[in-house]
Amino acid sequence: MAQLNLVQSVARTLASEMARDERVVVLGEDVGKRGGVFLATEGLFDRFGPDRVIDSPLSEAAILGAAVGMAVHGLRPVAEIQFADYVYPGFDQLVSQAAKLRYRSGGQFYAPMVVRMPAGGGVKGGHHHSQNPETHFVHTPGLKVVYPSSPKDAKGLLTTAIRDDDPVVFMEPKRLYRAFKEEVPDDEYLVPLGKARVRREGDDLVLVSYGGSVAETLKAADALAEQGISAQVLDLRSLLPWDKEAVLEVVARVGRVVLVSEAPKTAGFISEVAATISEEVLDALLAPPVRVAGFDTPYPYAQDRAYLPGVNRILRAVQAVLDY
Amino acid sequence: MIQEVQRFKPFSAKPIALLSEAGEWRGPFDLDLTEEKLLTMYRDLVRARLLDERLGKLQRMGKTSFVAPAAGHEGAHIGVAHALRPGFDWLFPYYRDMGMVLALGVPPKELFAQSLATRADPNKGRQMPAHPGSAALNVFTAASPIASHLGPAVGAAISMKLRGTGQVAVASFGDGATSEGDFHAAVNFAGVQGAPIVLVCENNRYAISVDFHKQTASENIAVKAHAYGMPGYVVDGMDTLACYYVMQEVVERARSGHGPALVEMVVYRYGAHSSADDDARYRPREEVQRWRQRDPLRRFKAFLERRGLLDDAKEAALRESAEAELAAALKEAEAAGPVPTDWLFDDVYAERPAFLEEQRAQLEGVTRG
Repeated sequence: MAQLNLVQSVARTLASEMARDERVVVLGEDVGKRGGVFLATEGLFDRFGPDRVIDSPLSEAAILGAAVGMAVHGLRPVAEIQFADYVYPGFDQLVSQAAKLRYRSGGQFYAPMVVRMPAGGGVKGGHHHSQNPETHFVHTPGLKVVYPSSPKDAKGLLTTAIRDDDPVVFMEPKRLYRAFKEEVPDDEYLVPLGKARVRREGDDLVLVSYGGSVAETLKAADALAEQGISAQVLDLRSLLPWDKEAVLEVVARVGRVVLVSEAPKTAGFISEVAATISEEVLDALLAPPVRVAGFDTPYPYAQDRAYLPGVNRILRAVQAVLDY
Repeated sequence: MIQEVQRFKPFSAKPIALLSEAGEWRGPFDLDLTEEKLLTMYRDLVRARLLDERLGKLQRMGKTSFVAPAAGHEGAHIGVAHALRPGFDWLFPYYRDMGMVLALGVPPKELFAQSLATRADPNKGRQMPAHPGSAALNVFTAASPIASHLGPAVGAAISMKLRGTGQVAVASFGDGATSEGDFHAAVNFAGVQGAPIVLVCENNRYAISVDFHKQTASENIAVKAHAYGMPGYVVDGMDTLACYYVMQEVVERARSGHGPALVEMVVYRYGAHSSADDDARYRPREEVQRWRQRDPLRRFKAFLERRGLLDDAKEAALRESAEAELAAALKEAEAAGPVPTDWLFDDVYAERPAFLEEQRAQLEGVTRG
């Protein structure tokens, strides 16, 4: 097994899927000779040529619209949006065309496509290079939304997403692109969409997170362990569909839950998780579910680290839940 | 194959027309269509007009909630449809293109069923009326957000080029669509890629109530093609043969690998934007009346009569046959019955996920309760 960081894992997965299936094409801004601004498509242009690694015009509407048409006509496009923050000019293509095509045509047409987008903060990018727009997509029936937090999961989930017959929004936590390496299987490796991963076992409470925030959540769990508090860490990995059973099972067992996400707090995805917990396992709760989230402000530049739910904010929430 | 001699010059100031208002052939080349083809085109013009009238009646009877009148667009519709290879080339229509999809071969039963939302609708009653689609005939299911289908049309055309299938995509839209960002993004990408696509603007001069001069400051739509590196043509959209011949030329040009074109067909909608619109608020009646004098059916009929291909008796028989076809199709569409409630949860995804299974069960409980 190779030791890879997250962005290397993405690049290798794209290469192996393109080698496996000639219908897979990559398109986006700078994905060709440049290899992507984060190098997530590095080497693909030299290996597969300009017909399968398409440098597009600087237009998210064109990239996503064309991806829908390519998918409908039999290709398997993997579109790159350079930063998740730039998806909005192409938003209509995702929500009006890609998401609704199968439904509105009664199953006659469908769009098997993946939209990769580096997302999240922590890279001193200001608000137009740091946002987490996943809730927009999770609120759109017909899309699937995936947000891994590790190199190994990135391979397993991206492979599954490319082979999926539905449009998949694949968000990549860019501050984790080069943060650490992990052993990634060299051979075919698939992770089903909608299955959470236990990142750490624990009995006193559960910390539920996904994407970039998993890293801080794991650090918080380490800090708690030093205090003798055993926290289970659950990484959702997929938000639509999401692993309700895994969350409810562990919440029912330990009775306390803190939910961590760097997206703005109001109506964020973890609010959906908290509401589901309240609907379905209220009696098992020893304390109300608590959310630790990004603030309801545009993402700031100078206060970058203060905005993100860091270890201290997570620990404070845990204390409140334990003391309830 | 691409023709050795290009019949039409792009960017002509005057709309390209081949028939005079009185139906005389004025083309600078010899007519090379068979009698059968000409009569089929006329029959499709009549079918399109009658379909439009039928749908209007259904709306007034309360059987369907919405229509988007197409009378006045038939010359463009039939010209486009007849220039394509049905079931091979792809069409990405907009909601006013009922005549176009009818002429391309989509059964009238399906068109009625879509407007009535019965079981015979291939779209399973998922969309409002006037949004047809047919995978069997490569007719992309129409969507409501204006110009949103142009990106997918260009993507499909790029795929046709990459895969070397020899197909051509045609996308049609109104003049209002040319104001949307999606239009510019899609046409630009098509130009860059040299994709085999023809972009057809049915310029009926109104985007609901907003007239053409508030839509763009350019003299016409076709001139925009200059900016995207492709030829643009202005065509008299009330002249079926002009629409057909120009389309035939640019479709075959695209098929031969010479890239996209933008064709503007100057048409007029006699009716309101939709059954929910009162066009008397923004259009003088005299203007509508003036355009009605240029009717594509009347012009084509006069043309056929001059050539001895049509007379009153043949015309009556043709109309009767088209009426009968539509009446039978409507009957079949209605007889199919309403769309079952539990189809609500199908086709959101390739496979129904657990959360939709749960929601489906909730609805069942309520229905039975």
